[in-house]
Amino acid sequence: MIAPCVLGITAFVMIPLALALYRSLFDYRVYSEVQEWVGLKNYWQVLSTDLFVRSFGNVLLLAACVVVLVVVCAFFFAHVIANIAPRFARAVKSIIYIPCLISGIAAGIIFLFLTNLSGGLINGVLFELGLDSVAFDRQGIWPYVSVIYPTVWLSFGYNCLVLYAGLINIPSQYFEAAELDGAGAGARLWYITLPNMKNYFVLIIVNLVAANLQMFEVPMMMTGGGPLHKTYTPVLYVYNSYRDNAATQSLTIAAAVLIMIPIAVVNMVIFRIIRSEKSNDD
Amino acid sequence: MRAKIFRGSMYAAAVFVLILVLVPLLWMVLSAFKSRSEVLPVGLVILPSEWHFDNFAKVFTVYSDINFFYSYLSTLGVAALGVLLSLIVNSMAGYAFARLDFCLKKFFWCFVIFQMFIPGISILITSIEVCSFLGLLDSFFVLVLPGVANGYNTFFFRQFFLSVPRGYEEAAQLDGLGRFGIYLKIFLPLAVTPLIIIGASVFMGYWNSYLWPSLTVTDNVGMKQIMQVIMILRSRYRGDYGVVVAGTIISITGPLLIFAAAQKYIVQGITISGIK
Repeated sequence: MIAPCVLGITAFVMIPLALALYRSLFDYRVYSEVQEWVGLKNYWQVLSTDLFVRSFGNVLLLAACVVVLVVVCAFFFAHVIANIAPRFARAVKSIIYIPCLISGIAAGIIFLFLTNLSGGLINGVLFELGLDSVAFDRQGIWPYVSVIYPTVWLSFGYNCLVLYAGLINIPSQYFEAAELDGAGAGARLWYITLPNMKNYFVLIIVNLVAANLQMFEVPMMMTGGGPLHKTYTPVLYVYNSYRDNAATQSLTIAAAVLIMIPIAVVNMVIFRIIRSEKSNDD
Repeated sequence: MRAKIFRGSMYAAAVFVLILVLVPLLWMVLSAFKSRSEVLPVGLVILPSEWHFDNFAKVFTVYSDINFFYSYLSTLGVAALGVLLSLIVNSMAGYAFARLDFCLKKFFWCFVIFQMFIPGISILITSIEVCSFLGLLDSFFVLVLPGVANGYNTFFFRQFFLSVPRGYEEAAQLDGLGRFGIYLKIFLPLAVTPLIIIGASVFMGYWNSYLWPSLTVTDNVGMKQIMQVIMILRSRYRGDYGVVVAGTIISITGPLLIFAAAQKYIVQGITISGIK
């Protein structure tokens, strides 16, 4: 009964992975049959490629901003949902989940209509106010904003619902007892809410980190990785050099394998957490 | 009094966030009904001066080398078959890992779990090579098959099946049901909620995927997936941006309908497990 599953993983994960590791050790080009064993030289070469290293730095910065914003906003808004009338809360929960259904590609198009230099909503408003228009894809810090905001928009709803679940699972007696003991709002937050929601926080944070290290569609749509490669990400790097026929393919594969390392580590953390949480339930 | 201010600020925050979430969507909908000159105008045009529906019609006819209607259908077909196969394959494996004993079980379990740690991008290029070797490129199957077997989904089903009391199947065994019969008649009917949760998330994954189809379906026009078509529309809009938005709106209808149908389970699923 496990045969189809094992077969699928063998064909579409294990074999490609083995092949990728193998190819990355050779000097390999698609159009020539020549293959030359070069050992780890490809990895070394990728790691000394300025653009690749910089794309890693970029994605760390972008992912850090996204994770912090999503976690803070989602935590705050989870409290909002818990404190409004249930009927309204139900509608709010459904509405904030809608962006989670949308792909990075579609979100890119939606946001281009807000940020477009000529005729986007924001520049339209600025124009009516008599202000200068802003080139969101290349001016000042706006390229970062125009990558980060859609990304936050896409993942806010789901993470907010997760934290809301964590929040309402805290027994209300805890808060009542603390209040009787004279704990203020700040103390209740610090000594009750946060410790009791620790698992939920860790879970969404590692999930967000793993997902955002692979950021690709939103930067491709919003800035194309620019200006001057400031929002270029490692996945964008691999994608572009794969499509660039002049690039040596074994180098591209080595870059792709390198991306695996941080993400695999983060995924391993996720798995540990899920497993320990699940085994607690058993 | 303080409580009232607190309540009020909560509602204000709720409305503020709803605006931040909804404005991009509303603006998209408004844009789709605008004429060519109003869609990206000089200054601010909020409501279309005349409601144009022809942007939606144009999506289906504007370019001869893309077929939006076929793409919508083939995306739907790929996602439907993908959901069906991945529910069968992963729930079967999950059941086997939860209840059956077989040799090398531990090894195969690690094998399946290992898949979770490998990001798609790392094996992207060589996966294309494998699919090309298997002669799958530009076909229906290159889109469906690679996403079917999934470590996380198998893990999810196994955890669910582990929580089913042993008594259920012992009774069934006395009635002469085999292992497969027990899976089919006892375990699957119990697993309606996980099947819907996983099914919905697998559907979103197939429907919204862009990277994989864009590199594996290059020549087969009808097989191009909906996100590819949106990108093609966008890359050559020639001033007709209304058509691009109209296409984007139509492309969102798929996941939206699934969510509307399975909403109860999805929101409930998150609330119960905290895990998608």
